[in-house]
Amino acid sequence: MPRSLWNGTISVGLINVPVKLYTATESKTVHFREVHLEDEGKIEHRRFCSKEDKEVPYEDVVRGFEIGKDKYVVLSKDEVAAAAGDPAHVIDLEQFVPADDIDPVFYAKTYYAGAGDKGGDAYRLLHDALERTGRAGLGRFTFHDREYLAAIRPRDSLLLLHTMRFADEVVPGKQVEYDAPGRKPDKREVEMAAKLVDSLHERWKPGKWKDEYRASVLDMIERKAAGKQPRKPREQPPEETPDLMAALEASLK
Amino acid sequence: MARSLWTGSLSFGLVNVPVALFSAVRDQDLHFHQLHEKDGARIETRRFCAEEDKEVPLDAIGHAYDLDDGKTVVVTDEDLEAVAPRKTRTIDIEAFVDADEIDPIAFDHPYFLAPTGDAEGPRRAYQLLVEVMEQTGRLAIGRFVMRAKEYLVAIEVRDERLALTTMRFADEVRSADGIDTGGKKPAKAQLDQAVALVEALAADWDPSAWKDCYRKRLEDVIARKRKGRKISAPEPAREPAPVPDLMAALERSLAEATKGASGSGRRSAGDDLADLSREELYERAQQADVPGRSSMSKDELVDALGSG
Repeated sequence: MPRSLWNGTISVGLINVPVKLYTATESKTVHFREVHLEDEGKIEHRRFCSKEDKEVPYEDVVRGFEIGKDKYVVLSKDEVAAAAGDPAHVIDLEQFVPADDIDPVFYAKTYYAGAGDKGGDAYRLLHDALERTGRAGLGRFTFHDREYLAAIRPRDSLLLLHTMRFADEVVPGKQVEYDAPGRKPDKREVEMAAKLVDSLHERWKPGKWKDEYRASVLDMIERKAAGKQPRKPREQPPEETPDLMAALEASLK
Repeated sequence: MARSLWTGSLSFGLVNVPVALFSAVRDQDLHFHQLHEKDGARIETRRFCAEEDKEVPLDAIGHAYDLDDGKTVVVTDEDLEAVAPRKTRTIDIEAFVDADEIDPIAFDHPYFLAPTGDAEGPRRAYQLLVEVMEQTGRLAIGRFVMRAKEYLVAIEVRDERLALTTMRFADEVRSADGIDTGGKKPAKAQLDQAVALVEALAADWDPSAWKDCYRKRLEDVIARKRKGRKISAPEPAREPAPVPDLMAALERSLAEATKGASGSGRRSAGDDLADLSREELYERAQQADVPGRSSMSKDELVDALGSG
Protein backbone atom coordinates (compact mmCIF):
# COMPACT_ATOMS: atom_id res chain seq x y z
CA MET A 1 0.00 0.00 0.00
CA PRO A 2 1.55 3.31 -1.06
CA ARG A 3 1.82 6.19 1.40
CA SER A 4 -0.44 9.18 0.83
CA LEU A 5 0.98 12.71 0.50
CA TRP A 6 -2.10 14.64 1.50
CA ASN A 7 -5.39 13.74 3.13
CA GLY A 8 -8.34 16.01 2.62
CA THR A 9 -11.81 16.44 1.23
CA ILE A 10 -13.21 17.12 -2.21
CA SER A 11 -16.41 19.06 -1.74
CA VAL A 12 -19.19 19.56 -4.24
CA GLY A 13 -22.07 21.56 -2.88
CA LEU A 14 -22.79 19.94 0.47
CA ILE A 15 -21.24 16.63 -0.48
CA ASN A 16 -17.89 15.93 1.16
CA VAL A 17 -15.69 13.26 -0.34
CA PRO A 18 -12.67 12.30 1.78
CA VAL A 19 -9.64 11.60 -0.43
CA LYS A 20 -5.97 10.74 -0.13
CA LEU A 21 -3.43 11.90 -2.70
CA TYR A 22 -0.61 9.73 -3.98
CA THR A 23 2.12 10.57 -6.50
CA ALA A 24 1.28 9.10 -9.88
CA THR A 25 4.71 9.50 -11.43
CA GLU A 26 8.28 9.20 -10.30
CA SER A 27 11.50 9.97 -12.13
CA LYS A 28 13.79 6.98 -12.61
CA THR A 29 16.63 9.07 -13.94
CA VAL A 30 19.89 7.88 -12.38
CA HIS A 31 20.81 10.35 -9.68
CA PHE A 32 24.20 10.64 -8.11
CA ARG A 33 25.16 12.05 -4.80
CA GLU A 34 28.10 14.36 -4.48
CA VAL A 35 31.26 13.00 -2.91
CA HIS A 36 34.68 14.38 -2.17
CA LEU A 37 36.87 12.57 -4.72
CA GLU A 38 39.86 12.42 -2.38
CA ASP A 39 38.27 10.46 0.44
CA GLU A 40 34.75 9.66 -0.88
CA GLY A 41 33.40 11.73 2.01
CA LYS A 42 29.80 12.87 1.78
CA ILE A 43 29.32 16.44 0.55
CA GLU A 44 27.09 18.64 2.66
CA HIS A 45 25.61 21.92 1.52
CA ARG A 46 25.94 24.49 4.27
CA ARG A 47 24.44 27.95 4.42
CA PHE A 48 26.85 30.80 4.92
CA CYS A 49 26.28 34.48 5.42
CA SER A 50 28.14 36.18 2.60
CA LYS A 51 28.92 39.19 4.80
CA GLU A 52 30.07 37.51 7.98
CA ASP A 53 31.58 34.42 6.37
CA LYS A 54 29.86 32.34 9.06
CA GLU A 55 27.52 29.38 8.90
CA VAL A 56 23.86 30.32 9.41
CA PRO A 57 21.30 27.97 10.97
CA TYR A 58 18.09 27.49 8.95
CA GLU A 59 16.00 29.34 11.58
CA ASP A 60 17.96 32.50 10.82
CA VAL A 61 17.28 32.38 7.09
CA VAL A 62 14.57 34.69 5.71
CA ARG A 63 13.21 35.24 2.21
CA GLY A 64 14.26 38.30 0.23
CA PHE A 65 12.30 39.56 -2.76
CA GLU A 66 14.67 41.57 -4.95
CA ILE A 67 13.39 45.05 -5.82
CA GLY A 68 16.70 46.54 -6.94
CA LYS A 69 20.39 45.86 -6.81
CA ASP A 70 21.08 44.54 -3.30
CA LYS A 71 17.65 45.81 -2.24
CA TYR A 72 15.18 43.33 -0.86
CA VAL A 73 11.76 43.19 0.72
CA VAL A 74 12.40 40.77 3.56
CA LEU A 75 9.75 38.24 4.51
CA SER A 76 9.84 35.64 7.25
CA LYS A 77 8.82 32.09 6.34
CA ASP A 78 5.50 32.69 8.15
CA GLU A 79 4.83 35.81 6.13
CA VAL A 80 5.40 33.92 2.89
CA ALA A 81 3.11 31.18 4.21
CA ALA A 82 0.41 33.80 4.89
CA ALA A 83 -0.15 33.96 1.13
CA ALA A 84 -0.60 30.21 0.90
CA GLY A 85 -4.38 30.26 0.70
CA ASP A 86 -7.14 28.58 2.64
CA PRO A 87 -5.36 26.24 5.04
CA ALA A 88 -8.28 23.82 5.20
CA HIS A 89 -7.62 20.50 3.50
CA VAL A 90 -10.47 21.03 1.06
CA ILE A 91 -10.75 21.00 -2.71
CA ASP A 92 -13.95 22.89 -3.36
CA LEU A 93 -15.08 22.00 -6.87
CA GLU A 94 -16.62 25.12 -8.37
CA GLN A 95 -17.20 24.07 -11.96
CA PHE A 96 -17.45 21.00 -14.11
CA VAL A 97 -16.05 21.28 -17.62
CA PRO A 98 -15.89 18.76 -20.49
CA ALA A 99 -12.76 16.78 -19.61
CA ASP A 100 -11.71 16.37 -23.24
CA ASP A 101 -11.70 20.14 -23.76
CA ILE A 102 -8.75 20.61 -21.41
CA ASP A 103 -5.53 20.53 -23.41
CA PRO A 104 -3.08 18.37 -21.41
CA VAL A 105 -0.58 21.23 -21.74
CA PHE A 106 -2.45 22.68 -18.75
CA TYR A 107 -1.70 19.66 -16.58
CA ALA A 108 1.34 20.36 -14.44
CA LYS A 109 1.55 17.38 -12.11
CA THR A 110 -0.68 14.36 -11.68
CA TYR A 111 -1.70 12.58 -8.50
CA TYR A 112 -3.93 9.62 -7.82
CA ALA A 113 -6.79 10.70 -5.58
CA GLY A 114 -7.91 7.57 -3.74
CA ALA A 115 -10.86 7.28 -1.39
CA GLY A 116 -10.30 8.40 2.18
CA ASP A 117 -11.02 6.35 5.26
CA LYS A 118 -14.67 7.37 5.50
CA GLY A 119 -17.22 8.32 2.89
CA GLY A 120 -16.29 5.69 0.32
CA ASP A 121 -19.81 5.77 -1.09
CA ALA A 122 -19.58 9.50 -1.77
CA TYR A 123 -16.27 8.85 -3.56
CA ARG A 124 -17.86 6.24 -5.80
CA LEU A 125 -20.77 8.58 -6.48
CA LEU A 126 -18.53 11.47 -7.54
CA HIS A 127 -16.43 9.14 -9.67
CA ASP A 128 -19.43 7.64 -11.44
CA ALA A 129 -21.10 11.02 -11.97
CA LEU A 130 -17.93 12.42 -13.56
CA GLU A 131 -17.54 9.33 -15.68
CA ARG A 132 -21.12 9.53 -16.90
CA THR A 133 -20.99 13.24 -17.70
CA GLY A 134 -17.49 13.16 -19.17
CA ARG A 135 -16.67 16.17 -17.06
CA ALA A 136 -13.75 17.19 -14.88
CA GLY A 137 -14.24 19.17 -11.67
CA LEU A 138 -12.21 22.33 -11.17
CA GLY A 139 -11.37 23.82 -7.81
CA ARG A 140 -8.62 25.32 -5.73
CA PHE A 141 -6.74 23.82 -2.85
CA THR A 142 -3.69 24.50 -0.75
CA PHE A 143 -0.88 21.99 -0.89
CA HIS A 144 2.57 22.47 0.62
CA ASP A 145 1.94 26.12 1.49
CA ARG A 146 0.70 27.17 -1.90
CA GLU A 147 -2.63 27.31 -3.59
CA TYR A 148 -3.21 25.35 -6.77
CA LEU A 149 -5.96 25.03 -9.27
CA ALA A 150 -6.81 21.36 -9.58
CA ALA A 151 -8.75 19.31 -12.09
CA ILE A 152 -10.37 16.12 -10.84
CA ARG A 153 -11.26 13.50 -13.43
CA PRO A 154 -11.91 9.78 -13.46
CA ARG A 155 -9.44 7.28 -14.86
CA ASP A 156 -10.47 3.64 -14.64
CA SER A 157 -11.96 3.20 -11.19
CA LEU A 158 -9.89 5.97 -9.58
CA LEU A 159 -10.01 9.74 -9.57
CA LEU A 160 -6.99 11.67 -10.80
CA LEU A 161 -5.98 15.10 -9.61
CA HIS A 162 -4.00 17.29 -11.99
CA THR A 163 -2.49 20.50 -10.66
CA MET A 164 -3.13 23.04 -13.39
CA ARG A 165 -1.05 25.66 -15.12
CA PHE A 166 -2.65 29.07 -15.40
CA ALA A 167 -3.38 30.60 -18.80
CA ASP A 168 -0.49 33.07 -18.57
CA GLU A 169 1.93 30.21 -17.92
CA VAL A 170 1.12 28.55 -21.23
CA VAL A 171 2.81 30.01 -24.30
CA PRO A 172 0.42 30.51 -27.21
CA GLY A 173 1.65 29.00 -30.45
CA LYS A 174 1.48 32.28 -32.32
CA GLN A 175 4.37 33.54 -30.19
CA VAL A 176 6.54 30.92 -31.84
CA GLU A 177 7.25 32.64 -35.11
CA TYR A 178 8.62 31.06 -38.22
CA ASP A 179 8.70 31.69 -41.94
CA ALA A 180 6.08 29.76 -43.83
CA PRO A 181 7.30 27.97 -46.96
CA GLY A 182 7.12 29.85 -50.27
CA ARG A 183 4.51 27.46 -51.55
CA LYS A 184 2.26 25.12 -49.64
CA PRO A 185 2.86 21.39 -49.86
CA ASP A 186 1.12 20.08 -52.95
CA LYS A 187 -1.37 17.24 -53.09
CA ARG A 188 1.20 14.64 -54.13
CA GLU A 189 3.48 15.57 -51.22
CA VAL A 190 0.61 15.40 -48.72
CA GLU A 191 -0.35 11.96 -50.04
CA MET A 192 3.23 10.71 -49.85
CA ALA A 193 3.63 12.04 -46.33
CA ALA A 194 0.32 10.47 -45.27
CA LYS A 195 1.59 7.15 -46.66
CA LEU A 196 4.79 7.54 -44.71
CA VAL A 197 2.84 8.27 -41.52
CA ASP A 198 0.71 5.20 -42.21
CA SER A 199 3.73 3.01 -42.76
CA LEU A 200 5.05 3.98 -39.33
CA HIS A 201 1.65 3.68 -37.63
CA GLU A 202 1.35 1.35 -34.66
CA ARG A 203 -0.61 0.89 -31.48
CA TRP A 204 0.66 2.82 -28.49
CA LYS A 205 2.33 0.39 -26.13
CA PRO A 206 4.09 2.45 -23.44
CA GLY A 207 6.07 -0.55 -22.16
CA LYS A 208 7.79 -0.93 -25.53
CA TRP A 209 9.65 2.33 -25.06
CA LYS A 210 12.56 1.83 -22.68
CA ASP A 211 14.87 4.43 -21.25
CA GLU A 212 18.01 3.34 -23.08
CA TYR A 213 20.08 6.13 -21.64
CA ARG A 214 19.21 5.11 -18.09
CA ALA A 215 20.11 1.51 -18.98
CA SER A 216 23.48 2.51 -20.38
CA VAL A 217 24.32 4.67 -17.35
CA LEU A 218 23.45 1.80 -15.03
CA ASP A 219 25.46 -0.55 -17.24
CA MET A 220 28.44 1.79 -17.08
CA ILE A 221 28.17 1.91 -13.29
CA GLU A 222 28.11 -1.88 -13.10
CA ARG A 223 31.08 -2.21 -15.46
CA LYS A 224 32.96 0.29 -13.39
CA ALA A 225 32.09 -1.55 -10.17
CA ALA A 226 33.50 -4.70 -11.80
CA GLY A 227 36.67 -2.83 -12.81
CA LYS A 228 35.96 -2.74 -16.58
CA GLN A 229 36.31 0.31 -18.81
CA PRO A 230 33.53 1.53 -21.13
CA ARG A 231 34.01 2.34 -24.80
CA LYS A 232 33.60 5.72 -26.40
CA PRO A 233 31.00 6.07 -29.17
CA ARG A 234 30.91 8.69 -31.92
CA GLU A 235 28.29 11.13 -33.11
CA GLN A 236 26.80 10.88 -36.60
CA PRO A 237 25.26 14.05 -37.98
CA PRO A 238 22.12 13.57 -40.07
CA GLU A 239 22.10 14.46 -43.74
CA GLU A 240 19.93 17.27 -45.00
CA THR A 241 17.63 16.46 -47.85
CA PRO A 242 16.76 19.43 -50.05
CA ASP A 243 14.61 17.42 -52.45
CA LEU A 244 11.54 16.73 -50.35
CA MET A 245 9.75 14.48 -52.83
CA ALA A 246 12.80 12.31 -53.41
CA ALA A 247 13.28 11.93 -49.68
CA LEU A 248 9.65 10.98 -49.16
CA GLU A 249 9.80 8.45 -51.96
CA ALA A 250 13.07 7.00 -50.73
CA SER A 251 11.59 6.71 -47.22
CA LEU A 252 8.77 4.55 -48.47
CA LYS A 253 10.98 2.11 -50.37
CA MET B 1 10.37 35.58 -29.07
CA ALA B 2 12.06 33.48 -26.43
CA ARG B 3 15.47 31.94 -26.97
CA SER B 4 15.54 28.43 -28.30
CA LEU B 5 16.63 25.74 -25.85
CA TRP B 6 17.94 23.33 -28.44
CA THR B 7 18.48 23.24 -32.17
CA GLY B 8 18.84 20.22 -34.39
CA SER B 9 16.82 18.38 -36.91
CA LEU B 10 13.56 16.53 -36.86
CA SER B 11 13.85 13.42 -38.91
CA PHE B 12 11.16 11.09 -40.19
CA GLY B 13 11.98 8.60 -42.84
CA LEU B 14 14.75 10.25 -44.82
CA VAL B 15 13.34 13.73 -44.40
CA ASN B 16 15.24 16.05 -42.10
CA VAL B 17 13.82 19.36 -40.97
CA PRO B 18 16.12 21.77 -39.11
CA VAL B 19 14.19 22.87 -36.04
CA ALA B 20 14.55 24.92 -32.88
CA LEU B 21 12.94 23.98 -29.57
CA PHE B 22 11.09 26.51 -27.39
CA SER B 23 9.42 25.98 -24.05
CA ALA B 24 5.63 26.04 -24.27
CA VAL B 25 5.29 27.12 -20.65
CA ARG B 26 6.80 30.00 -18.77
CA ASP B 27 7.55 30.40 -15.12
CA GLN B 28 5.48 33.18 -13.57
CA ASP B 29 6.38 32.37 -9.98
CA LEU B 30 7.80 35.01 -7.69
CA HIS B 31 11.26 34.00 -6.64
CA PHE B 32 13.02 34.79 -3.41
CA HIS B 33 16.62 34.83 -2.33
CA GLN B 34 17.71 33.40 0.97
CA LEU B 35 18.96 36.13 3.29
CA HIS B 36 20.53 36.14 6.72
CA GLU B 37 17.90 37.58 9.06
CA LYS B 38 20.43 39.44 11.21
CA ASP B 39 22.16 41.53 8.53
CA GLY B 40 20.11 40.99 5.38
CA ALA B 41 23.14 39.59 3.57
CA ARG B 42 22.73 36.93 0.88
CA ILE B 43 23.09 33.32 1.94
CA GLU B 44 25.67 31.33 0.01
CA THR B 45 25.75 27.57 -0.25
CA ARG B 46 29.14 26.05 0.35
CA ARG B 47 30.09 22.46 -0.13
CA PHE B 48 31.79 20.70 2.75
CA CYS B 49 33.32 17.28 3.04
CA ALA B 50 31.53 15.66 5.97
CA GLU B 51 34.56 13.46 6.72
CA GLU B 52 37.05 16.28 7.09
CA ASP B 53 34.63 19.11 7.92
CA LYS B 54 36.42 21.21 5.28
CA GLU B 55 35.15 23.23 2.35
CA VAL B 56 35.69 21.47 -0.97
CA PRO B 57 36.10 23.16 -4.37
CA LEU B 58 33.75 22.02 -7.16
CA ASP B 59 36.50 20.30 -9.15
CA ALA B 60 37.24 18.01 -6.21
CA ILE B 61 33.67 16.69 -6.19
CA GLY B 62 32.59 13.53 -7.97
CA HIS B 63 29.33 11.68 -8.53
CA ALA B 64 28.70 8.64 -6.39
CA TYR B 65 26.18 5.89 -6.94
CA ASP B 66 25.27 3.47 -4.18
CA LEU B 67 24.73 -0.06 -5.41
CA ASP B 68 22.17 -2.34 -3.78
CA ASP B 69 24.92 -4.35 -2.10
CA GLY B 70 26.09 -1.26 -0.21
CA LYS B 71 29.09 -0.71 -2.45
CA THR B 72 29.67 2.83 -3.76
CA VAL B 73 30.86 3.55 -7.29
CA VAL B 74 32.40 6.95 -7.98
CA VAL B 75 31.69 8.12 -11.50
CA THR B 76 33.65 10.84 -13.29
CA ASP B 77 32.54 13.28 -15.99
CA GLU B 78 34.50 11.17 -18.51
CA ASP B 79 32.57 8.06 -17.51
CA LEU B 80 29.30 9.88 -18.13
CA GLU B 81 30.55 11.28 -21.40
CA ALA B 82 31.37 7.79 -22.59
CA VAL B 83 27.74 6.72 -22.24
CA ALA B 84 26.31 10.03 -23.44
CA PRO B 85 23.81 9.36 -26.20
CA ARG B 86 25.24 9.36 -29.70
CA LYS B 87 22.78 11.37 -31.73
CA THR B 88 22.51 14.65 -29.93
CA ARG B 89 21.23 16.76 -32.81
CA THR B 90 18.32 14.73 -34.08
CA ILE B 91 14.76 14.11 -33.04
CA ASP B 92 14.05 10.72 -34.54
CA ILE B 93 10.43 9.98 -35.22
CA GLU B 94 10.10 6.24 -34.83
CA ALA B 95 6.35 5.73 -34.92
CA PHE B 96 2.97 7.37 -35.31
CA VAL B 97 0.20 6.44 -32.90
CA ASP B 98 -3.42 7.49 -32.45
CA ALA B 99 -3.41 10.57 -30.25
CA ASP B 100 -6.25 9.37 -28.02
CA GLU B 101 -4.38 6.21 -27.03
CA ILE B 102 -1.92 8.18 -24.94
CA ASP B 103 -2.77 8.87 -21.33
CA PRO B 104 -1.76 12.47 -20.51
CA ILE B 105 -0.42 11.17 -17.20
CA ALA B 106 2.73 10.33 -19.17
CA PHE B 107 3.25 13.88 -20.41
CA ASP B 108 6.00 15.83 -18.74
CA HIS B 109 7.26 19.14 -20.16
CA PRO B 110 5.69 20.83 -23.20
CA TYR B 111 7.66 22.57 -25.96
CA PHE B 112 7.16 23.93 -29.44
CA LEU B 113 9.26 23.10 -32.49
CA ALA B 114 9.78 25.76 -35.14
CA PRO B 115 11.55 25.23 -38.46
CA THR B 116 14.81 27.11 -38.91
CA GLY B 117 17.01 27.97 -41.86
CA ASP B 118 16.19 29.42 -45.24
CA ALA B 119 15.86 26.24 -47.25
CA GLU B 120 12.44 25.89 -48.83
CA GLY B 121 12.25 22.08 -48.75
CA PRO B 122 12.60 21.59 -45.00
CA ARG B 123 10.12 24.36 -44.25
CA ARG B 124 7.63 22.74 -46.56
CA ALA B 125 8.30 19.40 -44.90
CA TYR B 126 7.44 20.99 -41.53
CA GLN B 127 4.19 22.29 -42.99
CA LEU B 128 3.54 18.89 -44.46
CA LEU B 129 3.89 17.19 -41.08
CA VAL B 130 1.56 19.72 -39.48
CA GLU B 131 -1.08 19.10 -42.15
CA VAL B 132 -0.81 15.34 -42.22
CA MET B 133 -0.83 14.93 -38.45
CA GLU B 134 -3.79 17.23 -38.08
CA GLN B 135 -5.70 15.34 -40.77
CA THR B 136 -4.98 11.91 -39.34
CA GLY B 137 -5.29 12.68 -35.62
CA ARG B 138 -1.98 10.98 -35.11
CA LEU B 139 0.87 11.81 -32.89
CA ALA B 140 4.53 11.12 -33.56
CA ILE B 141 6.67 9.25 -31.04
CA GLY B 142 10.39 9.76 -31.08
CA ARG B 143 13.51 10.22 -29.07
CA PHE B 144 15.95 13.02 -28.70
CA VAL B 145 18.83 14.12 -26.53
CA MET B 146 19.00 17.35 -24.60
CA ARG B 147 21.61 18.21 -22.00
CA ALA B 148 23.13 14.73 -22.23
CA LYS B 149 19.86 13.00 -21.37
CA GLU B 150 17.71 11.05 -23.77
CA TYR B 151 13.98 11.78 -23.81
CA LEU B 152 10.99 9.96 -25.17
CA VAL B 153 8.78 12.54 -26.83
CA ALA B 154 5.34 12.90 -28.35
CA ILE B 155 4.93 15.39 -31.19
CA GLU B 156 1.49 16.68 -32.03
CA VAL B 157 -0.06 19.77 -33.61
CA ARG B 158 -1.07 22.68 -31.38
CA ASP B 159 -1.86 26.17 -32.65
CA GLU B 160 -0.70 25.12 -36.14
CA ARG B 161 2.75 24.31 -34.84
CA LEU B 162 4.48 21.09 -33.98
CA ALA B 163 4.31 20.74 -30.21
CA LEU B 164 6.77 18.39 -28.56
CA THR B 165 6.14 16.99 -25.10
CA THR B 166 8.70 14.99 -23.16
CA MET B 167 7.20 11.81 -21.77
CA ARG B 168 7.66 9.60 -18.79
CA PHE B 169 8.68 6.05 -19.49
CA ALA B 170 6.15 3.35 -18.59
CA ASP B 171 7.99 2.42 -15.40
CA GLU B 172 7.91 6.05 -14.26
CA VAL B 173 4.13 5.98 -14.03
CA ARG B 174 3.28 4.35 -10.74
CA SER B 175 0.84 1.55 -10.38
CA ALA B 176 -2.44 2.52 -8.75
CA ASP B 177 -2.76 -0.93 -7.20
CA GLY B 178 -3.74 -0.87 -3.56
CA ILE B 179 -5.29 2.60 -3.69
CA ASP B 180 -8.81 2.62 -2.26
CA THR B 181 -11.44 3.15 -4.95
CA GLY B 182 -14.29 3.77 -2.53
CA GLY B 183 -17.48 2.02 -1.55
CA LYS B 184 -20.40 0.43 -3.31
CA LYS B 185 -21.86 1.42 -6.65
CA PRO B 186 -24.40 4.19 -6.17
CA ALA B 187 -28.10 3.49 -6.63
CA LYS B 188 -29.58 4.85 -9.84
CA ALA B 189 -31.60 7.60 -8.14
CA GLN B 190 -28.52 8.77 -6.30
CA LEU B 191 -26.35 8.78 -9.41
CA ASP B 192 -29.04 10.71 -11.31
CA GLN B 193 -29.04 13.34 -8.58
CA ALA B 194 -25.24 13.55 -8.60
CA VAL B 195 -25.20 13.88 -12.39
CA ALA B 196 -27.81 16.65 -12.11
CA LEU B 197 -25.60 18.41 -9.55
CA VAL B 198 -22.57 18.16 -11.87
CA GLU B 199 -24.64 19.48 -14.77
CA ALA B 200 -25.97 22.34 -12.65
CA LEU B 201 -22.37 23.42 -12.09
CA ALA B 202 -21.34 22.77 -15.70
CA ALA B 203 -19.30 25.36 -17.56
CA ASP B 204 -17.07 25.62 -20.61
CA TRP B 205 -13.35 25.23 -20.08
CA ASP B 206 -12.00 28.75 -20.15
CA PRO B 207 -8.40 28.84 -18.94
CA SER B 208 -8.28 32.63 -18.79
CA ALA B 209 -11.13 32.64 -16.25
CA TRP B 210 -8.80 31.13 -13.66
CA LYS B 211 -6.24 33.45 -12.14
CA ASP B 212 -3.36 32.48 -9.93
CA CYS B 213 -4.65 33.86 -6.61
CA TYR B 214 -1.59 32.59 -4.79
CA ARG B 215 0.73 34.73 -6.92
CA LYS B 216 -1.60 37.69 -6.39
CA ARG B 217 -1.64 37.25 -2.61
CA LEU B 218 2.11 36.88 -2.51
CA GLU B 219 2.50 40.11 -4.49
CA ASP B 220 0.15 41.74 -2.03
CA VAL B 221 2.11 40.43 0.97
CA ILE B 222 5.31 41.83 -0.56
CA ALA B 223 3.66 45.20 -1.25
CA ARG B 224 2.30 45.41 2.29
CA LYS B 225 5.61 44.48 3.81
CA ARG B 226 7.34 47.09 1.67
CA LYS B 227 5.05 49.71 3.17
CA GLY B 228 5.95 48.44 6.63
CA ARG B 229 2.59 46.87 7.41
CA LYS B 230 2.13 43.82 9.53
CA ILE B 231 1.36 40.48 7.96
CA SER B 232 -0.48 37.88 9.94
CA ALA B 233 -1.11 34.30 9.01
CA PRO B 234 -4.68 33.24 8.25
CA GLU B 235 -6.42 31.32 11.01
CA PRO B 236 -6.67 27.57 10.63
CA ALA B 237 -9.96 26.55 9.09
CA ARG B 238 -12.35 23.84 10.13
CA GLU B 239 -12.08 20.54 8.29
CA PRO B 240 -15.34 19.21 6.87
CA ALA B 241 -16.66 15.78 7.78
CA PRO B 242 -18.38 13.31 5.49
CA VAL B 243 -22.15 13.78 5.41
CA PRO B 244 -24.22 11.02 7.00
CA ASP B 245 -27.12 11.18 4.51
CA LEU B 246 -25.80 11.41 0.95
CA MET B 247 -29.20 11.64 -0.73
CA ALA B 248 -30.40 14.51 1.47
CA ALA B 249 -27.12 16.38 0.93
CA LEU B 250 -27.41 15.85 -2.82
CA GLU B 251 -30.91 17.26 -2.90
CA ARG B 252 -29.95 20.31 -0.90
CA SER B 253 -26.79 20.86 -2.99
CA LEU B 254 -28.78 20.62 -6.17
CA ALA B 255 -31.33 23.13 -4.89
CA GLU B 256 -28.49 25.53 -4.00
CA ALA B 257 -26.70 25.04 -7.32
CA THR B 258 -29.79 25.59 -9.46
CA LYS B 259 -30.73 28.63 -7.40
CA GLY B 260 -27.25 30.03 -8.03
CA ALA B 261 -27.33 29.31 -11.75
CA SER B 262 -30.74 30.80 -12.45
CA GLY B 263 -32.14 34.27 -11.72
CA SER B 264 -29.90 37.24 -11.17
CA GLY B 265 -27.15 35.03 -9.75
CA ARG B 266 -25.58 35.28 -6.35
CA ARG B 267 -22.45 36.88 -7.73
CA SER B 268 -24.11 40.19 -8.53
CA ALA B 269 -24.06 43.23 -6.30
CA GLY B 270 -26.41 43.60 -3.39
CA ASP B 271 -26.45 39.96 -2.44
CA ASP B 272 -25.51 38.38 0.82
CA LEU B 273 -21.76 38.71 1.25
CA ALA B 274 -21.66 35.70 3.52
CA ASP B 275 -22.61 33.52 0.56
CA LEU B 276 -19.47 34.43 -1.37
CA SER B 277 -16.26 32.44 -1.26
CA ARG B 278 -13.20 34.00 0.33
CA GLU B 279 -11.76 34.43 -3.11
CA GLU B 280 -14.75 36.35 -4.40
CA LEU B 281 -14.74 38.48 -1.27
CA TYR B 282 -11.04 39.06 -1.72
CA GLU B 283 -11.53 40.21 -5.28
CA ARG B 284 -14.16 42.69 -4.12
CA ALA B 285 -11.88 43.80 -1.33
CA GLN B 286 -9.22 44.48 -3.96
CA GLN B 287 -11.63 46.56 -5.99
CA ALA B 288 -12.63 48.47 -2.86
CA ASP B 289 -8.97 48.65 -1.79
CA VAL B 290 -9.74 47.36 1.70
CA PRO B 291 -6.57 47.75 3.77
CA GLY B 292 -5.17 44.57 5.28
CA ARG B 293 -7.28 42.37 3.01
CA SER B 294 -4.63 39.77 2.24
CA SER B 295 -4.45 38.56 5.81
CA MET B 296 -8.18 38.73 6.53
CA SER B 297 -10.27 35.67 7.12
CA LYS B 298 -13.53 35.20 5.25
CA ASP B 299 -15.57 36.66 8.14
CA GLU B 300 -13.28 39.67 8.45
CA LEU B 301 -13.65 40.32 4.73
CA VAL B 302 -17.43 40.16 5.03
CA ASP B 303 -17.29 42.66 7.89
CA ALA B 304 -14.89 44.98 6.08
CA LEU B 305 -16.89 44.95 2.86
CA GLY B 306 -20.24 45.20 4.64
CA SER B 307 -19.23 48.28 6.59
CA GLY B 308 -17.78 50.04 3.54
